[in-house]
Amino acid sequence: MTSALAAPKRTGGYHLARQGKAAHVFLVPWLVGFLGITTIPMLASLYLAFTNYNVLAEPNFIGPANFIRIAGDERFWHSVRVTLLYVLFGVPLQLGFALFLALILDKGIRGLTLYRSAFYLPSLLGGSVAIAILWREIFGQDGLVDKFLGLFGIHASSWLQNPDTALWTLILLHVWTFGSPMIIFLAGLRQIPDDLYESARVDGATTLQQFRSITIPLLTPIILFNLVLQTIGAFQSFTQAAVVSGGTGGPVDSTLFYTLYLYQQGFVNFDMGYASALAWVLLVFIGILTAIQFALSKYWVFYGD
Amino acid sequence: MLTRRNLFTFCALSGLAASAGSLSACSGVGGGDAGASGSTTVRYAWWGTAARQTAYTKAIDAFKQHYAAIGVEPEFAEYTAYQVRMTTQMAAKNVAEVFWIPSAQVLTYAKNGLYRNLDDVQTLKWEDYSKTEIEGFKLDGKLNTLPFGIFTPVFRYSQTYADAAGLTLPADGAGWTWDSLAELAVTYAKNNKDKRWAFVYNPDADLPFEAWLRQHGEQLWTQDGKIGFTADTTAAWFDWWLKLVKAGAVPTPAQQNGMAPLWATIGKSVLGIFGNSNHIIDDAKSFPDQKFTLRHVPVMASPAAGHQFLYFPRVAMYANTDKVKVEAAGQLMNQQGNVTDFLKIVGMTMGAPTNPRVAKEAEAFATDNEKQMLKIVADDRGETRKPRYEAPAGTNSWRAIMARTVEALALGQKTPQDAAKGMISEIQTGIDRA
Repeated sequence: MTSALAAPKRTGGYHLARQGKAAHVFLVPWLVGFLGITTIPMLASLYLAFTNYNVLAEPNFIGPANFIRIAGDERFWHSVRVTLLYVLFGVPLQLGFALFLALILDKGIRGLTLYRSAFYLPSLLGGSVAIAILWREIFGQDGLVDKFLGLFGIHASSWLQNPDTALWTLILLHVWTFGSPMIIFLAGLRQIPDDLYESARVDGATTLQQFRSITIPLLTPIILFNLVLQTIGAFQSFTQAAVVSGGTGGPVDSTLFYTLYLYQQGFVNFDMGYASALAWVLLVFIGILTAIQFALSKYWVFYGD
Repeated sequence: MLTRRNLFTFCALSGLAASAGSLSACSGVGGGDAGASGSTTVRYAWWGTAARQTAYTKAIDAFKQHYAAIGVEPEFAEYTAYQVRMTTQMAAKNVAEVFWIPSAQVLTYAKNGLYRNLDDVQTLKWEDYSKTEIEGFKLDGKLNTLPFGIFTPVFRYSQTYADAAGLTLPADGAGWTWDSLAELAVTYAKNNKDKRWAFVYNPDADLPFEAWLRQHGEQLWTQDGKIGFTADTTAAWFDWWLKLVKAGAVPTPAQQNGMAPLWATIGKSVLGIFGNSNHIIDDAKSFPDQKFTLRHVPVMASPAAGHQFLYFPRVAMYANTDKVKVEAAGQLMNQQGNVTDFLKIVGMTMGAPTNPRVAKEAEAFATDNEKQMLKIVADDRGETRKPRYEAPAGTNSWRAIMARTVEALALGQKTPQDAAKGMISEIQTGIDRA
């Protein structure tokens, strides 16, 4: 009797246990990667941030000296200014453009799949070395843009070598990689029930009124999602500036992104302890900014539940 | 659910997997312990262009055929990527047994004990060098690197463009001064029909800058690892360039597409360029229809005695090289520096041979441009030269600092004096920190 009652219970537990073991086995590669490639290096860099470490000799613990040095480092503050400018202009412009195109594609035009793929392509390539080189050719001395403007008698030399225009060309490159947020916006637009628009139309609402009162409010969770993701991504931008400026952040530091400065400290100056401190400052800053974005979201994001 | 027991099992398995991974990684990268047959494999790291990679790969293959018991694992990269990889490998204490040393890192690497002493390596021969030369190769009294090439500062120009403009540069001697070149540059830029500039804007070219300093009785670095130049002499150098920019004789950084324009592009728009003697080998290939001429850099009136100097690119053996690999690594270094057949395959993109015997033998197969380079190096080599010291630790990025400084100078953001002071202060900060 006891064994008969226990049997089904044992079977369920047995299956669960087997499933659990299988799950663990499948999780092992991820866990190894998570520990080996993410967690342990992060903890190591946290320790190195408090050391003087030149890569060649053993790290020497110096307490918060690297962080104190950051506060008085002019190039650090310059790189912060350049990066903030890039994020403040690049992200809203990119999201605005992505939303604009998503709205057009949402109209169900012919060849939608083709357009969607074509528009998404720059996102796949945008952070790549190849596109950065292409950008250098387009905006460089005797580049495509210069030649085109030359037809109208405008000769601006190299847009990438002029400190007043270099960063803006990189912002333009960032805006051009609108594909990823555009796809997400498009998915969000598809989730908005058509009957809301129909009711609005019956009530005489114009297209602009529909956009302002239905599309935007119902899309705010998606806007928040894209905003958070793109802001984090923009703060971490590296390849474009590194390739376009040849790793210098030039001309005269006008494209010295934060991550590029961090790279220079770690891999050019062999100041890995300082570079680690810079990395942690960036992490904490992005963390705080993201928390603020979420905290403020309650004032403008509409979840509809 | 993950129980305590399962956790231990998991940790053990992960540890095993990680260890296996790192072990296999080690064997993959380092691969090359002495085999049972007595053969040895050494890793060889160098930098350059794709053409240099091809040439050196051929030379390595020839070396391996000749020394069947020595295997060579090539580790090639472009110059910047090479330095990044070296940094990573140094951190992992996994450096190639034989490696080239980037110019700004010579003493940084030395300070951190990256080089193995070479005086006990039987396969590396020094007989062709004089005692004075060997003394000159030493770093802090130690013979731990092999200089395998020589660069000198030069002014290179297109003879084809000069002929077309009816231009004749003054001969070496009293007429070939910085002032006479500046005057000639302004005249050329104003009058040539093709609207070319006289030369590229590159006050950050290290060897010509060093030549300027030494002619003024200063030096780039001192023996005790300090900055050897003053703000006044540096400001005078900047001023010389700035006047040429203002006169339209040389382009601004924006006009020439940055501080490191591609020669293949800018070469069409200028008569010449300041640089290193070896650059002619690769650069001339971009314009096969043109003839290029190498000149010593101009000399100021009453220069300091012994101002001429030679820069040596160096190759070293890693300090932690396994004992069983030392002689094989030495043999490979010997090929690099002392074997004419090796040079015949790799060419002279890394300058004139340091080994005087090889340099003499090279004349037999050198191209016209290589002959020019050999001659110009031989001229300076024949002079009595004051010692030259390598860049001290902490100055890895001094050239990047200088490039940034002269960019700001050309843009009018700094005066020559402010630019010089700011640059020296920034370089000094790096030295202090190191």
